[in-house]
Amino acid sequence: METMFFAVVDRGKANAVLRKAQQNGAAGGTIFLGEGTIQSKLLEKIGLTETHKELLAIAASEELCHGLHEMVCETFLFSKKNRGIAFSIPFRRRQPQSPGREPDNRPGSENSSFSHSCIVIIVDRGRSMDCIKAARDAGAGGGTLIHGRGAGIPTEFYFPLVIEPQKDIVMIITTKDKAASIRDRISAELDLEKPGSGIIFTLPVLRTSGLFENRTAEHEERTP
Amino acid sequence: MNLLAEKMKEVSRTLLPVVLLVLLLCFTIVDVGANIILRFLVGSVMLLLGLAIFLWGVDLSINPIGEYMSREVATSRTPFKIAALSFLLGFLITVAEPDLLVLGSQIETASGGVLSASVIVYIVSIGVGVLISLGVFRLLQDLPLNIFMLITYGIIIVLAIFVSEEFLAISFDASGATTGALTTPFVLAISLGLSKIKGGMRSEENSFGLVGIMSAGPILAVMLLSIMTGQKNIEGEAIEFALAEGVLGPIVNAIPPIFVESLIALLPITALFFIFNFSKFKLPRNELLRIVKGLALILIGLILFLTAVTSGFMDMGRVIGMGLAGTNRWLLLAVGFLLGMIVVLVEPAVHVLGEQIEEVTSGHIPLNIIRATLSIGVALAVAFSMLRIVVPAVKLWYFLIPGFALAMVLSFIAEPIFVGIAYDAGGVASGPMTATFVLAFAQGAASITDTANVMIDGFGVIAMVAMAPVLSLMVLGTMFRYTRVERPAAAEKGAAAAPLPEAEGRRHDCIMAVAKRGFAERIVDLARLSGATGATIIRGRGVDEHQKVLLPIIHVELQPEREVVLLVTGAEISETVADRLLEDPQLAREGEIDVFISPAEAMTRTMVMDTAGPGD
Repeated sequence: METMFFAVVDRGKANAVLRKAQQNGAAGGTIFLGEGTIQSKLLEKIGLTETHKELLAIAASEELCHGLHEMVCETFLFSKKNRGIAFSIPFRRRQPQSPGREPDNRPGSENSSFSHSCIVIIVDRGRSMDCIKAARDAGAGGGTLIHGRGAGIPTEFYFPLVIEPQKDIVMIITTKDKAASIRDRISAELDLEKPGSGIIFTLPVLRTSGLFENRTAEHEERTP
Repeated sequence: MNLLAEKMKEVSRTLLPVVLLVLLLCFTIVDVGANIILRFLVGSVMLLLGLAIFLWGVDLSINPIGEYMSREVATSRTPFKIAALSFLLGFLITVAEPDLLVLGSQIETASGGVLSASVIVYIVSIGVGVLISLGVFRLLQDLPLNIFMLITYGIIIVLAIFVSEEFLAISFDASGATTGALTTPFVLAISLGLSKIKGGMRSEENSFGLVGIMSAGPILAVMLLSIMTGQKNIEGEAIEFALAEGVLGPIVNAIPPIFVESLIALLPITALFFIFNFSKFKLPRNELLRIVKGLALILIGLILFLTAVTSGFMDMGRVIGMGLAGTNRWLLLAVGFLLGMIVVLVEPAVHVLGEQIEEVTSGHIPLNIIRATLSIGVALAVAFSMLRIVVPAVKLWYFLIPGFALAMVLSFIAEPIFVGIAYDAGGVASGPMTATFVLAFAQGAASITDTANVMIDGFGVIAMVAMAPVLSLMVLGTMFRYTRVERPAAAEKGAAAAPLPEAEGRRHDCIMAVAKRGFAERIVDLARLSGATGATIIRGRGVDEHQKVLLPIIHVELQPEREVVLLVTGAEISETVADRLLEDPQLAREGEIDVFISPAEAMTRTMVMDTAGPGD
């Protein structure tokens, strides 16, 4: 199964991870700048909740992906707390000369082989913190935030330019059983049912490293 | 790691070399009193804390304020409103700049009272306001920066012929004084915000250059003032400096005036923000609180930083300058070179510019190269300034005018994004650290040298520091353009897709299309043709084994920039969309597109894909 391997690390470290991954056989990757969250009551009070992160995405086959998870745990110590997290999402690379339509069989997040879900929320710039707050209230650990820009139907025209709406993309990794309640909570608090206020969707996660939801190592939850 | 710790680490990395070099000089060549060494050390700790807190505050407040303000400017609908609003921004932040008032009163004494300090402050602020509003128009109309700057600096060079050397130095110094610790980050944020709103292919290049444009304002204003009033010579003498006694006394004494200065400097931005928040933005309480916290942090950080610099670093610079000029004059050049090289990296705006470059290019341009080039430029600038002090026959304009002229020529050859960064770097490098530490060093050296004039030679340093990085970064930009080698991409990629297991309850697919920068709009257009509604574009950098771009001499790997388009579509059309993208010859050939599909569960009960995509 083809997957997309994601790793979230402190800013500046993604290159090192990528280089190591290339030694393990990855062809290349894409790096995004993002922001992380800190879970600390004290720091939150004084507004110290921002951290700078990098998000690295590598397209990988299942074996390679397995190897990459091993690699980040060993070399970059993702098996310890706060060193970074990694997860993989089943993504199929679409080839230019695809042999016709393939059988319509793809995994859904209901599938039992997925222990985790990746909730993706795309909202207007500035609402991401509300998002993460709502997610936390519903039991999520934290989230990664990436800035992007919307490219929908242009809505605002001004002299002399078209406004490109700035968007925040929030990615939250959580166990599958919590995903639904978190999603509902965010959806309700950010009023996502209202057209144009943002979208939310989940992607299935095959495997995670470095996630400490209940202060226990995630290794037992590996899927073969 | 939280942001403060991150900033502390970053600042200490740049501060440490300065402290080590100064201590080395203190214990070997120059005889420095224990008091001054101790004060320098206390100052260093304060500077570390102050700068880290300041930068953190900038992240929390100045950057968002800049973004909101620029939105306000860009959406004012009529050209007149845009001009008026940006003029107001430029004028207000400059008029409150404490350094400018100091410079004004210096010129007032120097000109024997003909030019009053307040006149100078207002004229310079008007100059900045006019240039900022021109710069905003340039950005919104997408006029090339190199042509704009060619005209601006062309006028400056012509005017320079009619201006005496003293005023040449003062006019450039005025530019250094206006690009202070607070103004530069704010203008950088405005520039970034505007280009983000404008978007498009050139948004990246457009993010830079406004500081460069702004710093031309004071130069023009002071030169015109000098020509119109016929003021040529500076009569006054530099104020005699007495080294402060004691360790903690001078530090404590410096705090009250700096507190007032910082407060005044912060006032216009704060006031403007609150006025606009009240009438336009109406930010939610949380966001507002964050910005207020940020502003408070800036105030604390600025006070600590400026106190440290004026009380701990200034005397140290002066003593070292005097000591070196007294012992060996050629050593002065070498130390000047080294000092310039490392001191510029402690400049607050250099950190802010670095962060912005990182954000805008998603790390595509290696920061360390920019910093190294900046260092070399400033190092040469300080070394040449020392040469000017030692050898009086060497004039300021020998460097200044050919330097700018060469930079302007290179701006047409260099990689476009470097042009803006280079022009900004001039304003960014000549901040409070240069204006105190390096200036004191030069003045100290000049006061010991009989042939040098403390006033003229002192002023010239800032002019040189403002010019050299522009030139050195232009050279770097030219190198990037002409010496990169690309390795050809490999023909075959990956194996055929394996079918994925059965899914239940899936209604949507998430498509992730990765392509070279600049192709995102085309992807969105094509996708919409095949039925997708909206998309979100993320900027990143990609690394592919077969497509490394290397700079040969210094072996720096440039990671090509990528754009990722995230689309959520109905499952039944996702493959059509993907095929459409892959079949497009332009995307396949030039865009190096990759398309990935994953099943997504759109989670809102009434998924609003038809009425509102993510892009609305």
